[in-house]
Amino acid sequence: MLTQFQIVNRVREKRFFADEMTQQELADLVGVTRQTIMAIEKGKYSPSLEVAFKIAVVFECRFDDVFTYEIL
Amino acid sequence: MDMSFKEKSAWISFISTVSIFGYYFYSIFMLIGEPPEIAKEAAKDYLIQAVFLSIVVEIFFHAVLNASNKKEAALQSDERDKAFEYKANSLGYSILVVGVVITLGRIITLEYNPEFAEQHSSLQIPLLTAHILMFTFILSEIVRFGGQIFFYRRGY
Repeated sequence: MLTQFQIVNRVREKRFFADEMTQQELADLVGVTRQTIMAIEKGKYSPSLEVAFKIAVVFECRFDDVFTYEIL
Repeated sequence: MDMSFKEKSAWISFISTVSIFGYYFYSIFMLIGEPPEIAKEAAKDYLIQAVFLSIVVEIFFHAVLNASNKKEAALQSDERDKAFEYKANSLGYSILVVGVVITLGRIITLEYNPEFAEQHSSLQIPLLTAHILMFTFILSEIVRFGGQIFFYRRGY
């Protein structure tokens, strides 16, 4: 049987440790809408590689510190 | 309800299209049974009114939306907006293609079988061919806007 994976992110946690950055602040830095950040945090939307890398750059961390690919 | 600028815009277009063209098609159906010349003139007037009203309503409400959301209006569609737009466009396009194929079929059938022409049809809608095309176009627009709203509400 094919193993099922899902993209898990720690954006909410990263925002908290970035001086409680708001979703709007992160959205402005990344260049997307606040609703998109909200959808990413809820795991409802998987961003493009470009946006995912931009998020990692904002938090000054490695890409895989924010996004991981885990078995369901 | 937490809505993005693009979702609000889709709601405006969806509601205005459904209400204005819904009333337009209701008015056209009410013309069934009227003398053809009178019905044709009335249909032309209804169409001009509906198109004019649609343009005015869209411009007015989008201007209000832009004025009340200046920051979001300046920000162009992000990748999620574009993804929803592409998916919704695809749905609307499918409806439009079906309508065009039906209309083409009707035109060709009437060309080879003139006895099926409008004056012998049981469906006495003025400018029937144009209205089939118009109906599928409006339906495709409704599906397009409705699709966008659906994807925004679902979140992915």
